[in-house]
Amino acid sequence: MLCPATAIAEGRAKGFDLAEEGQDTIFVVRSGGRLHGFANACPHMAGAPMAWRRDAYLNSAGTRIVCHAHGAEFLPETGECVLGPCVGQHLTPVDIEVVPDGMLAVWLNQQKKQIVEE
Amino acid sequence: MKIVGLDNLIFGVDNVADSARFLADYGLTPVDVTDRGGRFEAIDGTSVEIAHQSDTRLPAAPAPGCRLRKTVMGTADAATIDAIAAELSRDREVKRLPDGSIESVDDSGFVIGFQVTVRRPFSLAGEISNAPGSPIMRPVNSLGIIGPDAPIRPRSLSHLVYFVPDAIKAEAFYVNRLGFRCTDRFAGVGPFLQPGGSLDHHTHFLIGAPPQVQGVEHFTFHFGGPNELLANGYRFTQKGYQAFWGPGRHILGSNWFWYFNSPFACHIEMDADMDLHDATWAPREVALGADNSQTFLFKMREKWAPGPGIHTNGDYA
Repeated sequence: MLCPATAIAEGRAKGFDLAEEGQDTIFVVRSGGRLHGFANACPHMAGAPMAWRRDAYLNSAGTRIVCHAHGAEFLPETGECVLGPCVGQHLTPVDIEVVPDGMLAVWLNQQKKQIVEE
Repeated sequence: MKIVGLDNLIFGVDNVADSARFLADYGLTPVDVTDRGGRFEAIDGTSVEIAHQSDTRLPAAPAPGCRLRKTVMGTADAATIDAIAAELSRDREVKRLPDGSIESVDDSGFVIGFQVTVRRPFSLAGEISNAPGSPIMRPVNSLGIIGPDAPIRPRSLSHLVYFVPDAIKAEAFYVNRLGFRCTDRFAGVGPFLQPGGSLDHHTHFLIGAPPQVQGVEHFTFHFGGPNELLANGYRFTQKGYQAFWGPGRHILGSNWFWYFNSPFACHIEMDADMDLHDATWAPREVALGADNSQTFLFKMREKWAPGPGIHTNGDYA
C-alpha cells in the first residue's frame, strides 16, 4: 500500500521510496483523471533519478513528466519522451491499482501495465 | 586573451518562484529578484540569472529543451573585449550591448557574452585542517565544524559543462578563437578547458553528444572546502532536493563534487578544492569510466548514533 489514491491530485505526482534507500523507486502521476505509475529512472541515462525536489516530477503546468537531470519531457499518459535527449523512448511503467478501500497499491513483479480508473 | 572565467549564466525557466527558491536554498544571494526573475550571486558577484522561459528579453535557446540562454564570461580588461570582438567579427555577428559587453554565438550555437569581469576581489580563508607538522593550522580554540545555523555561501561561479554535437569543432573554437587551453581530456568524450586568465583546472568541459542532447550537463560554484560542500549538500537534501551523484572527489581537477537535479534541465554541482594549473601543465588523457571519474564516492545517510533500538546490523544495515 502506498497512500490513499485521493492523495494525488490532478496534475500532481508523488514518489515512493519502496526500497528505503533514500531515493524514490517509483512515482505515480494523475493525468486526465487517471493514475499512472513509472519507475524513477530516465531512459536517457541508466540510473538517473528524475525529480528535482521530493515529488517534483512534473512541469509547473502539470502536463508533462520532466527528467530534471537533462530536461527530457514525457507524456504522463504513456510515458513517451517527446522532448530532449531520449525522444521516442519510454519510461518503464509500473503496475498500480486502487484497491477497494481506496488505497493505492503497487505490484512490482507483474509485467503488464495497469492503468486504474477510480 | 585574458578571459578570467564565467561571470553569469542566464536561464529561461518554467517556474520562476520554484527556481528562485532552489537557487537561494543552494546558497546564492538573491539580488534584484522579482516575480519575473532576477540574479543570484556568489560572494564574488558571479551569478546565475533566471527569467520565465517566455520572457522576450532572453536570447533564443540553442536547442529545444535547453534552458541555458546565455553564458557570460568575464575578462580582465576592456582591451580583451575589443580583441574578442575583432576576432569573432571575422566570421559572425558580434553585438555591442548598452552595458558595454559584447554578445555573439559559439560554434555549437550557444549564445556567449563577454564583459569586464564583475568579480569582486575578496579575502576569506578556505578551510584549514589541523594536520601535525603542517605550517598552517587553524587558530587555537577555533572550531573545525560549521555550526548548524552558520550560513554557507558559494564563493564563485566555477564551471559549465556543455553537451555539444561536435566536440572537436567546439574545442577548436574555444582554443583557437578565444585562447583556452586543454588541461585534461576524457578520450573520445571531450576536453576540460581553461581560459587564458584563470588557473582553475577548468571553467568549461565539453561532452560530444548526439544533436538531440545538445544543452548543459551541469554548472557549479566553488565552495570554501569539503566541509562546506558536505554540510551544504546535507542541508540541501534535508530540504527535499534530489541528489544525482556524490558526494565524492574527482580525479581530473581533484574537485570534491556533489551533483543534484535542478529545474534548469541540467544538473547543478557543488564543488570545492579544484586544482590550479598553468601553461607548464601537461594534459592527461584518460578513458571515461568509474575508476577515472572519482577517487572515492560516498552516499548521503541519515544521521545515526549507536544505542537502544538500532538495527541489528548497525550503521551499515
